Amino acid sequence: MKVRVKSFAILRQFLPRETEVEIKEGALVRDLLGLLVKQAPPLAAELFNEQGELKDFVNILLNGRNIHFISGLDSPLREGDLVALFPPAGGG
Amino acid sequence: MLSLVERERYLRQIPLLGEGGQERLRDAAVLIAGAGGLGSVCAQMCACAGFGKIRIVDNDVVERHNLNRQVLYAARDHGLFKVDVAARRLRENNPLISVEPVRETITRGSIGNLAKGIDVIIDGMDNYDARYILDDAAFGEGIPLVHGAVNGFYGQVSSVIPGKTPCLHCIVPHPPPSGNIPILGVTVGTVGSIQVAEAIKLVTGLGKPIAGRMLLWDGLMGEAEVIPVSRDPSCTRCNGRGVVP
Repeated sequence: MKVRVKSFAILRQFLPRETEVEIKEGALVRDLLGLLVKQAPPLAAELFNEQGELKDFVNILLNGRNIHFISGLDSPLREGDLVALFPPAGGG
Repeated sequence: MLSLVERERYLRQIPLLGEGGQERLRDAAVLIAGAGGLGSVCAQMCACAGFGKIRIVDNDVVERHNLNRQVLYAARDHGLFKVDVAARRLRENNPLISVEPVRETITRGSIGNLAKGIDVIIDGMDNYDARYILDDAAFGEGIPLVHGAVNGFYGQVSSVIPGKTPCLHCIVPHPPPSGNIPILGVTVGTVGSIQVAEAIKLVTGLGKPIAGRMLLWDGLMGEAEVIPVSRDPSCTRCNGRGVVP
């Protein structure tokens, strides 16, 4: 199946602004991130801490809904889903 | 009714806002939380636009490394309290408005008084602890909060409206690490101007606020994108009242 991935802010140094990713049926957000990191290894340091856990401030929106409020990295993907990766800015 | 002096000063924007819209701005009180990069741009734009009362809050003094982006201050202001310099500059710019400088840190203890009588809160903070205090006050008092934040060439804006949108805790559930974030004057200029455009829209009713959505500015690409934001179903602040698009 295919899902669309959009990246924002600093993640655009590693990922295209918008891309379509081919991924196996039944894949989870975790699988998608694994695939993206395989394509762009420096992305790993932006998304994951040293224990390999997702940095909690990286917002991942699945069709507009934050995966923190769904099932986190175990949130399931479906054909045509839009995944947005958005690390919020903090300065003022 | 607008005075003759007001009609003259706002001649080029009254066609946009209408006399009624200009009157609403004149009758509105805005809280500028923070007088740093975003805060100085927002305060300047609010003064120019004619917000009748500007309460600007900050407890810092002007330092040389502020001057690349904090447009209210000059080299000679080094060491002076930001809000004092800001108030002087804003009054010079627009003597028709009232400016109230407050030398304070925004805390859970101080925010109640700071938000009293305020119609719109503008976020010019540099950390999420303070932003969450503004968010709580906004939802507690029913005052819209225009959130803005920057990082390098990137920035974000969202209008948080109690009873209508997810709160800031929902939009940014986990704050990014704080510290010496690189910031450029042009980024706070862009993001701060969008924030004040939001405040103007919220007060006058013009246009459509960036509500339930987040504008993400990318200065390197020269483009902005607006994405939907979602509510935490377990959020006790906006649960049952927030609208998720």
